[in-house]
Amino acid sequence: MEPEPTNTASGSGNPKDDATLKVPSKDPKKKDDKKDEDLSEEDLALKQQLELYVERAQDADQGLQKVALESMRQEIRTSTSSMTSVPKPLKFLRPHYGTLKSYYETMPDSDLKKLLADILSVLALTMAAEGDRESLKYRLLGSEGDIGSWGHEYVRNLAGEIAQEYSKRVNEEATVDDLIELVEQIVAFHMKHNAEPEAVDLLMEVEFLDLLVKHVDKTNYKRTCLYLTSSARYLPGPDDTSVLDIAYTIYSKFEEFPSALQIALYLDNMQHVKQLFTSCPDLLRKKQFCYILARQGISFELDEEMCADDEDREALQEIINNTKLSEGYLTLARDIEVMEPKSPEDIYKAHLLDGRASAGASVDSARQNLAATFVNAFVNAGFGQDKLMTVSSEASGGGSLGNWLFKNKEHGKISAAASLGMIDLWDVDTGLAQLDKYFHSNDNHVTSGALLGVGIVNCGIKNDCDPALALLADYLDKEDSSIRIGAITGLGLAYAGTQNEQIRDKLTPILGDPKAPLDVIAFTAIALGLVNVGSCNEEVAQAIIFALMDRSESDLGEPLTRLLPLGLGLLYLGKQDSVEATAEVSKTFNEKIRKYCDMTLLSCAYAGTGNVLKVQHFLGQCAQHLEKGETFQGPAVLGIAMVAMAEELGLDMAIRSLEHLLQYGEQNIRKAVPLALGLLCISNPKVHVMDTLSRLSHDADTEVAMAAVISLGLIGAGTNNARIAGMLRNLSSYYYKEANLLFCVRIAQGFVHMGKGLITLAPYHSERFLLSPTALAGLVVLLHACLDMKAIILGKYHYVLYFVVLAMQPRMLLTVDENLKPLSVPVRVGQAVDVVGQAGRPKTITGFQTHSTPVLLAAGDRAELATEKYIPLSPILEGFVILKENPDYREEV
Amino acid sequence: MLLTTHLWFKFLLRRYAFDCHSYVLITVSVKWQKELYPAVEIDTTQPPYVFKCQLYDLTGVPPERQKIMVKGGILKDDSDWSKLGLKEGQKLMMVGTADEIVKAPEKGPVFMEDLPEEEQVVAVGHSAGLFNLGNTCYMNSTMQCLHSVPELKSALIEYPQSGRSNDLDQSSHLLTVATRDLFSELDKNVKPVAPMQFWMVLRKKYPQFGQLHNGSFMQQDAEECWTQILYTLSQSLKSPSTSANLDKVKELFGVNLVSRVHCAESGEESIETETVYSLKCHISHEVNHLHEGLKHGLKSELEKASPSLGRSAVYLKDSHINGLPKYLTIQFVRFFWKRESNQKAKILRKVDYPLELDIFDLCSDDLRKTLEAPRQMLRDEDGRKAGLKLKEKVPASGDNDVKMSDAEGPSNGSGESSKAALVEGVGSDKNAQLTGVYDLVAVLTHKGRSADSGHYVAWVKQENGKWIQFDDDNPIPQREEDITKLSGGGDWHMAYICMYKARTIPM
Repeated sequence: MEPEPTNTASGSGNPKDDATLKVPSKDPKKKDDKKDEDLSEEDLALKQQLELYVERAQDADQGLQKVALESMRQEIRTSTSSMTSVPKPLKFLRPHYGTLKSYYETMPDSDLKKLLADILSVLALTMAAEGDRESLKYRLLGSEGDIGSWGHEYVRNLAGEIAQEYSKRVNEEATVDDLIELVEQIVAFHMKHNAEPEAVDLLMEVEFLDLLVKHVDKTNYKRTCLYLTSSARYLPGPDDTSVLDIAYTIYSKFEEFPSALQIALYLDNMQHVKQLFTSCPDLLRKKQFCYILARQGISFELDEEMCADDEDREALQEIINNTKLSEGYLTLARDIEVMEPKSPEDIYKAHLLDGRASAGASVDSARQNLAATFVNAFVNAGFGQDKLMTVSSEASGGGSLGNWLFKNKEHGKISAAASLGMIDLWDVDTGLAQLDKYFHSNDNHVTSGALLGVGIVNCGIKNDCDPALALLADYLDKEDSSIRIGAITGLGLAYAGTQNEQIRDKLTPILGDPKAPLDVIAFTAIALGLVNVGSCNEEVAQAIIFALMDRSESDLGEPLTRLLPLGLGLLYLGKQDSVEATAEVSKTFNEKIRKYCDMTLLSCAYAGTGNVLKVQHFLGQCAQHLEKGETFQGPAVLGIAMVAMAEELGLDMAIRSLEHLLQYGEQNIRKAVPLALGLLCISNPKVHVMDTLSRLSHDADTEVAMAAVISLGLIGAGTNNARIAGMLRNLSSYYYKEANLLFCVRIAQGFVHMGKGLITLAPYHSERFLLSPTALAGLVVLLHACLDMKAIILGKYHYVLYFVVLAMQPRMLLTVDENLKPLSVPVRVGQAVDVVGQAGRPKTITGFQTHSTPVLLAAGDRAELATEKYIPLSPILEGFVILKENPDYREEV
Repeated sequence: MLLTTHLWFKFLLRRYAFDCHSYVLITVSVKWQKELYPAVEIDTTQPPYVFKCQLYDLTGVPPERQKIMVKGGILKDDSDWSKLGLKEGQKLMMVGTADEIVKAPEKGPVFMEDLPEEEQVVAVGHSAGLFNLGNTCYMNSTMQCLHSVPELKSALIEYPQSGRSNDLDQSSHLLTVATRDLFSELDKNVKPVAPMQFWMVLRKKYPQFGQLHNGSFMQQDAEECWTQILYTLSQSLKSPSTSANLDKVKELFGVNLVSRVHCAESGEESIETETVYSLKCHISHEVNHLHEGLKHGLKSELEKASPSLGRSAVYLKDSHINGLPKYLTIQFVRFFWKRESNQKAKILRKVDYPLELDIFDLCSDDLRKTLEAPRQMLRDEDGRKAGLKLKEKVPASGDNDVKMSDAEGPSNGSGESSKAALVEGVGSDKNAQLTGVYDLVAVLTHKGRSADSGHYVAWVKQENGKWIQFDDDNPIPQREEDITKLSGGGDWHMAYICMYKARTIPM
């Protein structure tokens, strides 16, 4: 419509121009004749029209110019197009871009010039050479009108150019204010148009994420935060923290407190946690917070500010202290009907291996009985009843009392007595009562086991009366070293992650005790590491460093010495750069242990970060071919797993790298590879890893085979996976003559059927977002011990297997009502789908089945409520979730 | 002890009940196991022991077993209440039980790890393996099979170390001694044994086993080894004291055959008797089962000079078993000399063999008669075991009831008879009657395409009824079903020599 009057106006106003108009317009036309033939009449008209505008725009008459430019703008704006082809007006204007550009330079400053700049900015979208950033240049010169009026593509292009320009200007230390202004417009546009990822990306490029908070609203904050949190995994250094901080701010702004709490926990920022407790007004939601805190396994004291009412505070603290964990777990067990205790024979299923059944039941084998003790402990963990340890005390015949205990030899009795703690796991009252009678035994091994059992039963549970500390403290300076180790390890397990000062004060002097034997020192270092895990505590670090320096040359060669650097490393678990000072000190150690210490510290410090550079560093260490006697490559291989386990992509890459190590590595690397695989896929039996491990379990090298067998147990831990169970059964007949390997097979069988399949060892939880430091610490201790299987686990320190208790958690979803009583509701459980950056409200699970709670969740599973009747107080349905009745719910008639 | 504590506690309570007004009472709640005792009063002027006595009355836990958690550890009997900072209404926790203290049993269990090696063997349930000394698997598997014959072992134990009879050459004597030593080594050890001495002596006696090929010993035919060793043993174990024809090996393994040699052309006929140590199972296209092969093997054609015709003629030799051994050895004739290629070839044909073999129909009429009565008894016993009426079983032929009671029969029979044989030796024949029914006890298999290559393995039934595959130094337990799968027809291990043990019935 508009071109018509313009045309006439120009025609009547300036006939001379008319003539000039025709000549240039005809020239290119002749050249393009052949091309033009393809054009439809309509297009041809448009083309001529545009050429006319270009001509007019250079007219001396401002009015004419203005009309021409506005028409041109109109033409461009009204043309919409898919992303795959250039809009027609832009295409036809291409030949004139240069003309207009040079004309622009000659124009005096005016609104018209700005108008032309706008048009040039758009034209630059298709015309400008890569890297010229002309679109941006003209945009900045232009009228600064509504940015969205030119369409998405233009905005996106502009965003890209801004990013480039920004980095250039920062290098030149030029001002960026004008860019930021533009960024603000773009972000506002993106956020309005469901393009949160683009907005976030742009803001990250210009390092101005704070801006985001202003622009999120109720409709898009979830998607924005999801994108922020998942991209944080791939960001280097301090950037990730700032990104998560923004996500935290946004979540708190919209009162999405549970999600904010997750991020606060990820950042390990207790200040944030406190703030959330203070700002959340609702007691029920606070209870949900407490459940989340309890799952993370950190100790947290509520004060009056966070909860004014004493009684409420006590109730909340009780949840954090995990006192109800045992109850919830047993609710799940009863619901699934697995309360019946299982004996090791039920697990071995020897009848399926006819002909290869265990030969000669007439004589007890101490090794096999010890294996049965562990299997029994793991399988019946937390159920409070079994067929070996607890049954005899209930039987009327007093003579049979403690029979099984004494079917174990010497140090085997430590593990046997401690297994009671495992059977009564999380149930402190019953557990302590069961263990009490063993305290008074005159057999030092039994007493030691009872002490360790106290630690196990208290693992992850806090009690105001501190029974573990009270009971164990007296035994710390006993003469017998096995009793001391029992008490020390018990304290380490019971108070892992609490950073309890009393324990620190009690344990640190032992490290400096010149008379203490090496094993006592080693376990003290581990216990201190566990209690102060991730605390970067200087004092403890000093103590361990001195203990390491005091070791004699021969001590440094002992297999147990490896626990000292590990204890040191645990202090810095996941704390990245904070380790540097200590790592520097470790360079002054005896060269026998220097490298080993260095690897252990690094691997602990970067555990769970997914830092690719560190993974490469460890791979580089493994590439060296060593002289005999060097052992530091073991922790380096474990380090790869510890660092890379953070997220799925890195995890898959690490698995592939480990395959290479397996092919080209030497023995000390090969024997660590199965363990690393075990850690990467813990309680997550991936088929290809299972196959690799199955292959390695027949390796000619026994140490590799043993590690592979244990790892088979680890990847299937608590899953009851039938395939792994079958593999292990076959291995048990394959290795029936080799006592050591058979022992490992038995332990692995115990792992697979851990808690009768209700337990997971995965340190990651809350949809694989949060990492429980104590859980990881427990696993790492176990794996380091497995690096020298013969000396530690197959020797007399088999009770290190109990360190796995730190990682044991029920893999359940238990919904509770507002009074925290179990409430059965239908839920859909299915494979989790990655929905980051997807538009709309995509399905979050696939291949789901509907169950009613409580339900088991496998690795990679996600649950969602299948009813509208209730509203969950946590967006992540795992562990304990409080349900609130939905006030808007109407029963369907 | 408990009683006195209790009384003393009552006494204390009574004593202090009078002057309640003069001291400070703190009310606390005490948690013990799953129970909570609210409102327990503590008299802070009295030592904590009094408080413990109060708790004893509530819980029944003796004071010395009570562990009460207070600030800074466990409440001691001499603690000062004022320093513990107890608050009104505080929750205390008490740990302790009145359970009996666990005592170690007076006699601790014996662990396998502590046992000397001989005793471990009993626990393991099978004897040791034999190391391969370089292609000696034929010898190892032969020895493992022979080792499973307890009568042979006992005969060897009686064999004198030095006193050899005059007609025995030195090397035979040494081989016998070496066999005896090797068997006792196998019985004593759990770990594999290296049969060095035996191997040397065997080579000395039979130099063909010492043949070298490319600098290493050659693989040999296990059957040859088997035969030669048995021959040597039969020579050396002839007891000089008793009658000359009493030969232990013959008694155990010898099969008496009676043959009718008949010439169709001339009508000549003669009867021959002979003793063989093994029956041959000839494998032809018609043979699918051991039984058919044995029948085949007992009929042969031979060419010899006929006195009546004055030239050589074809004679038919038709043999029957006239005397049964305790251990029936059957050789599958799998190897034959291929003339065209000048090498020993192997027949891979599948020939099934049963776990329980009845050779009644291969016996001569005389033998059949003597077997009738024991067989009837055996059938009756089987019938009883199966819980069936006797009458029904009577007309059933041998083949049918052979399949009965697979599991019980063999183990019982072998257990009893071996014991009987060990104790009574020669005289056992009078009490235990052969029935013509045999149970499989050992299989020697060959895997590979020719006799002088491949691998020999022994599969031996142990006294506890379990099967063990002796693959040189590696004994592997096997299932009974898998033993019958060694019948050939592929590249898997296939039976070459089977050893059956007679099922006897006490008369």
